[in-house]
Amino acid sequence: MADQDTMPRPPGEGTGRPAAAAQAPLDPKFAWPTTRTVLGTAVKRFDGPDKVTGRARYTFDINRPGMLYARIVRSPHPHARVTAVDLAAALRAPGVRGGLVHRQPGPEAANRVMFQGDEVAAVVADTEEQAIDAARLVKVTYEVLPHLTNVSAALAGTAPAVFTNGNVRQGQVQESGDLAAGFAAAAHTLEQTYETHVITHVCLESHGTVCEWEGDRLNVWISTQGINAARENFATALNMPQANVRVQCQYMGGGFGSKALSVGAEGLICAQLARQTGKPVKLMLDRKEEHLAVGNRPSAAARVKAGVSADGLITAFDAESWGTGGAGAAAGFPLPYVYRIANRRRSHKDVFTNTGLQRPMRAPGHPQGSFITEVMADELADLVKMDPVEFRIKNLPPEAPNAMWRSYLREGAEAFGWSKRHATGDPTSGPIKTGMGVAVCTWGGGGRGPAQAHCEIASDGSVIMRVGTQDLGTGTRTLVAVVAADTLGLPAERVTPQIGDTNHGVSPLSGGSTTAASISPAIRVAAVKALDALKEKVAPVLNVDPASLVATGGRLHMRDDANKGLGWTEACKHIGPQPIAVDGDWQPGLSSVTTSGVQFAEVTVDVETGIVKLTRILAIQDCGLVVSRLTAESQVYGGIIGSLNFAMYEDRILDRNTGQMVNPNMEWYLLAGMSDMPQMEVRLKDQPERGVIGIGEPPTVPTAAAIALAVRNATGATMRSLPLTPARVLNAMRQQNVRRA
Amino acid sequence: MAPKDDGVDGINRSRRRFLKSTGVVGVAASVIAPDGAAAQTGPAAAGPGAVPVRLQVNGRQLDLMLEPRVTLLDALRMRADLTGNKRGCDRGACGACTMLVDGRPVYACSTLAIAVQGKQIRNVDGLAQGDTLHPVQQAFCDKDALMCGFCTPGFVMASVGLLEQHPNATAEQIRKGLDGNICRCGTFPRIFEAVSSVAGGRRG
Repeated sequence: MADQDTMPRPPGEGTGRPAAAAQAPLDPKFAWPTTRTVLGTAVKRFDGPDKVTGRARYTFDINRPGMLYARIVRSPHPHARVTAVDLAAALRAPGVRGGLVHRQPGPEAANRVMFQGDEVAAVVADTEEQAIDAARLVKVTYEVLPHLTNVSAALAGTAPAVFTNGNVRQGQVQESGDLAAGFAAAAHTLEQTYETHVITHVCLESHGTVCEWEGDRLNVWISTQGINAARENFATALNMPQANVRVQCQYMGGGFGSKALSVGAEGLICAQLARQTGKPVKLMLDRKEEHLAVGNRPSAAARVKAGVSADGLITAFDAESWGTGGAGAAAGFPLPYVYRIANRRRSHKDVFTNTGLQRPMRAPGHPQGSFITEVMADELADLVKMDPVEFRIKNLPPEAPNAMWRSYLREGAEAFGWSKRHATGDPTSGPIKTGMGVAVCTWGGGGRGPAQAHCEIASDGSVIMRVGTQDLGTGTRTLVAVVAADTLGLPAERVTPQIGDTNHGVSPLSGGSTTAASISPAIRVAAVKALDALKEKVAPVLNVDPASLVATGGRLHMRDDANKGLGWTEACKHIGPQPIAVDGDWQPGLSSVTTSGVQFAEVTVDVETGIVKLTRILAIQDCGLVVSRLTAESQVYGGIIGSLNFAMYEDRILDRNTGQMVNPNMEWYLLAGMSDMPQMEVRLKDQPERGVIGIGEPPTVPTAAAIALAVRNATGATMRSLPLTPARVLNAMRQQNVRRA
Repeated sequence: MAPKDDGVDGINRSRRRFLKSTGVVGVAASVIAPDGAAAQTGPAAAGPGAVPVRLQVNGRQLDLMLEPRVTLLDALRMRADLTGNKRGCDRGACGACTMLVDGRPVYACSTLAIAVQGKQIRNVDGLAQGDTLHPVQQAFCDKDALMCGFCTPGFVMASVGLLEQHPNATAEQIRKGLDGNICRCGTFPRIFEAVSSVAGGRRG
């Protein structure tokens, strides 16, 4: 599998590979409780009130005394050599306090800018307006070089030679089974090309940083998916001890992967300008910079030849795939997706282009692999006149706790009214056609350490659970409280979660849907230990064995006599002036990997205008033990909506002559709004015996394919590329009619 | 001023939908600079340096020295530390900056501070009464109508503006009224639920 090699992955993750069932925890007392009082319930998001009132301080909202504002000067050219950078006029401008050259001028390859938006220089001034003015006064001289933004030209060898080691990187061929025998067993074969486009993350809060030096110590506020990784990034790049860097991120306005792996040039430039000026500096990117320079989802394409037996088994799959992740980054994706095909071969090429580098984007590679495989699957199903649900059931891996597609497909088909679906092409008269589609997904989402949790219980009954993690908007703060409260027999609001600060300890970066599965076990362990310590304090008072005490309903009491015990506050009075303070870490047995999900979509298509309206979505999704029901469901809604944007609206459009992005904003880079929402039903499956598994990514995988297949079902025209704009739908229908004629 | 042309009352066709369905390409709006003659006969030009600007924000008077080009959003965020409303796109497309000016939702990123002197400005920082949330804020919390929360202040203000004009807003009015705001995390179904629960209980 030529998957993203940039994404941290827990072992055992993959497409449909059976994962080991959750093993027992080190000590049985840490096991998840069989009766759960707070876990899995609909606890209101902890930071709701702070966010709806505007009190929540994001990096963008950090205002420090004497703070300056920085601005990066970026290349307008997709490929050029920087021959001179003159900061003089900028440094003389009103309010300007400093500046730096990021891309040194010179004759070498390293003196080149490789994409529109590549960093060249930066300035810092008293106000943001002054910084923007000054950035315009920085005089950069470029020797413009031939650029490459056309993937087909790169593959055909007709593009200018741009990249030192070649414009195209051929990956290894992956092969298993006997392809010739597979095609020999096929009753029908299909040869088609499928492709998906580049989209960008569009986090509503842009990438941004505030840096403030105190002597040789650096305080950083940064919109990041990994505060501890950010600390390492800053210390390494600035050649200083990690002990001297503190990173905070209390609230962040989305990341979707683009804020996971590195603080980027933008983070380091902020720290450098703060050091140069001796003042706190804020550097927030604007929307255009966001689109150009800080990540995107790579394109993906595959020329596929596949064979299907008369009874609907995919017997052979032979694919050449490619994609572009920009100026030097890989563009891998899993192919074929999920389906079990005994005889297969796949070769992949990464195509480098003079565009911004990809960064992991929500379920890296999976939406692309899913689209290509699922559209192919429906084409094969039609060749053998088989229902798409039955076709999937026949070709998916065997049912297992981490591979529940068969059950979910049957349940979903029933609930969605799949039996009312017509064959490909709505036979009714009139211009509005209706169709349904279905697709499946998987994701790993396991946990790992170190993920330290620190629990304190004070004599006034306060409970603090402190974890050096961060909340992308998924609800981490709420999850911390839910896990602790359930263990301590308290309502969630009695726990004070503290996160978002490297002073709180070490926790993994939030990527690959691993946060919940990493920190929940650590919190559970810390809370169990803290409760044990409290029992030790209280047992002598009650004159009982500590092991006979349990905590439920806000009381610490005898297991078999709820009346014999103390209320939480009373019990905690026996703690004394020194709070109970214990630590926990992730350990195996409380989390596992690999989820399954299915989604059904229904659309109407106006065949005269090509306008698609998404009318209904049903999602069935598991994530092991459901920790926090409201926030978990919200993740599924969000995943669906992210994917419908990918399917129908978003598109990074490049000018074919200049190589520049023509829609680096939010009015021509389209995103769905309230009126574009379909009816949505989310069925979250609880699998408590498996422990915690992440849910951020899987629900954003199958929606796009399900929608494209619904359009196919409505119109009879196969949508083999995205997004499903009116023009693309009309073109597909016209080609279909030409073939029929 | 940048009123949000969501067409709740008037033409039943929002700006977003119009752009999307037609794919119109071209100059959406052209900025017309005053020529020399007009500049001489018109009011004296302010700036380019900082000028005194008096704003009425959340019922309080705010005296600031601002360059005339400073937007209402930036004035409040960077000069008055009222950071509740956010800047997502800076071009009147995402709605995170939505504030109420004389009761009308406006994109504060595309509204000059100097142009709204003498008007009643409300941003999200002033909406709650102490610890008591506005019913719209409470509904957002109850329905989990937020994730990262960066769009939330804009959605809350747009919803408040909508419900003040249409206390019994229909489902269609709610959809149209909030079409000028983007949530990237994808909380729309729950925002709809939240606003519907405040809107006189009318659903459908």
